Amino acid sequence: MYGWHLRILRINLTTHQVTKEDVDPKIARDYLGGRGLAIHYLYKEVDPTVDPLGPENKLIFATGPLTATPAPTGNRYMVVTKSPLTGALAHSNSGGEFPTWMKRTGFDLFIFEGRSPEPVYLLVNEDQIEFRSAAHLWGKDTHETTDILKAETSEEARVACIGPAGENLALMAAIMNDKHRAAARSGVGAVMGSKNLKAVVAMGNKNPALHNAEAMRSISVDTSKNVGVDVKKGSNMRIYGTSYVPQVTNTLGILPTRNFLQGTFEHVHNVDGDALKNQYLIRHTPCYRCPLSCGRLTEVPDGPYKGKGEGPEYESIMSLGTGCGVSNLAALVKANYLCNEYGMDTITTGMTIAAAMEMYEKGYLPEEVTGMPLKFGDHDAMIAMIRKMAYNEGFGRELAQGSYRLCEKYGHPEIAVTTRKQEFPGYDPRGSQGMGLLYATSNKGASHMEGDVAYEEVFGVPVKEDPLSTDGKGELVKHFEDSFALMDSSGVCVFVGIRYMFNKDRMLLPQRLSEMLELSTGAGYTPAEALKAAERVYNLERMFLLKAGSTEDTLPHRMLHEPLPDGPAKGRVVELDKMLPDFYKARGWDEKGWPTKEKLEELGLPLE
Amino acid sequence: MLIRIKMIANYRDVLPPDHKHGVIELDLAEGATVYEAISRFDIPLNDESVIVLNGLTVDMSTPLKEGDMVTAFSAIAGG
Repeated sequence: MYGWHLRILRINLTTHQVTKEDVDPKIARDYLGGRGLAIHYLYKEVDPTVDPLGPENKLIFATGPLTATPAPTGNRYMVVTKSPLTGALAHSNSGGEFPTWMKRTGFDLFIFEGRSPEPVYLLVNEDQIEFRSAAHLWGKDTHETTDILKAETSEEARVACIGPAGENLALMAAIMNDKHRAAARSGVGAVMGSKNLKAVVAMGNKNPALHNAEAMRSISVDTSKNVGVDVKKGSNMRIYGTSYVPQVTNTLGILPTRNFLQGTFEHVHNVDGDALKNQYLIRHTPCYRCPLSCGRLTEVPDGPYKGKGEGPEYESIMSLGTGCGVSNLAALVKANYLCNEYGMDTITTGMTIAAAMEMYEKGYLPEEVTGMPLKFGDHDAMIAMIRKMAYNEGFGRELAQGSYRLCEKYGHPEIAVTTRKQEFPGYDPRGSQGMGLLYATSNKGASHMEGDVAYEEVFGVPVKEDPLSTDGKGELVKHFEDSFALMDSSGVCVFVGIRYMFNKDRMLLPQRLSEMLELSTGAGYTPAEALKAAERVYNLERMFLLKAGSTEDTLPHRMLHEPLPDGPAKGRVVELDKMLPDFYKARGWDEKGWPTKEKLEELGLPLE
Repeated sequence: MLIRIKMIANYRDVLPPDHKHGVIELDLAEGATVYEAISRFDIPLNDESVIVLNGLTVDMSTPLKEGDMVTAFSAIAGG
């Protein structure tokens, strides 16, 4: 078989033993890899009701059949586990270099089980696999940890690790790789911390064999050329990365501002892509084999917020900026650096602080609890809180549980803007109805990365869709979810994937992506087969979260009952009840949102 | 009538240099449409661009009113 190694490294952290297992080629074909193959194993091996931070939970690192191939952006991996934030499913995606290096160890998946008696890191250099003490690393941030591990192993190695937030089991803890890249969402870093696993160091030379290497190279070169044409024309993603987006969402009135109390931010010019580019951009920093290169190295050269790192991306500008009413760009950039160094998801971090700010301003959170004034726009208080969250200090201990638990504890659950207890990303769904349906139904709780229908509703890719309309959104969201499951399972980035590996059609036919899968694996993929596999993945994930007890597809109070007060979508709420039945119908699920027996049989999924 | 044109990110390059955060004013004849306003600028008038009126998705033949804002940006996956 090609494309995959068809080998899993199973790591028992309790006993410090590893086993190497073969993967059934039919299973690989049916579940693709990455997110798909990982849910196959998670569903089979983990009771969905286990304590996510207990030793019974498993943590899976999963590459796809296009990872470490010539496919442009074939540099992704997924971290899949039961989420301590949502109590349901986590699947978080990251790029950079580590995922490619991980695949070159000769394994497609690492499955971590149990809990180490003491802090360790794992070195995987092909068949040289070692548990090593992480006593000297515990407490260190992700940048220090990465530097130390490369120095004591090899400069050729690549590192994924947690920072203090993961060690301290903050529910927004991320797993950082290559210092600046994050498998961020749903608290995957806390699961790693709960296992006393500080880091994974990967190196090796085992590129996967390809079914048709020459044709794969040719289609990859052609795809890169297509990206290059756009870059030459002046692609915003090359010039600004995602930081150009605040101006777009602000124009549409869907830029989350002050914990979604508003959809426009009066100081947006202070925190947009031009401000960032003109003041702090140093250079572009691509992930491995990416012709788009949207990453950016930035530096605040002096002053109280001095620092250097990558980003911030749009989502971080939203959560640590507009979401908290913060207009000081240097402070926002610093807050982003701190999240990366402490190992934290910027979205949940920022939006939890935003919810606390709203509660403070409304008098629901007294200063005796917060320890300091916590008003919207107070960037120094925000930065102080980030540190407290990472280190479990004072009020940070409560913030580290996320906004849902915080708001519920203080008697105002209506202030938490979450679904499945996970904070919303940067598109107010009252002005982007399809995103509302996506957040409500997403297998991982609120997330744009579950099927970013904003590409059509906001960005016009591949075609423009009216964001305020609810017509046809059920089918559209279903198709976006499956398409994202396909990219996440293949090992490519959605930014390049959507535009250059799918047909320019509202319903996103994955023509080129399925050709690449076929050239890589030779497993018989057509566009229809690839999409069917993605649908299988999505449905199995759905079964996991339903069995975990996360059965309600709904939205928080603010989205359903508090109309947007400003901007083009003024007066709108999310009309979820108009879209949800269409979505269930498009999915072939019953009226309560459970996959039917017929659907499970059609997809070849277990009925139990 | 005075309307405003807003260009986002790389599209700002087509504006005269005195624009304020990508916004300029235009004086157009009554009844001018979104198309007539935006076609004065050197941007692709096809699906490579997203063009909205006051933040809303409209037909390019929609007539403009005093104070309206037409915004354009490059269609690209991001965020």
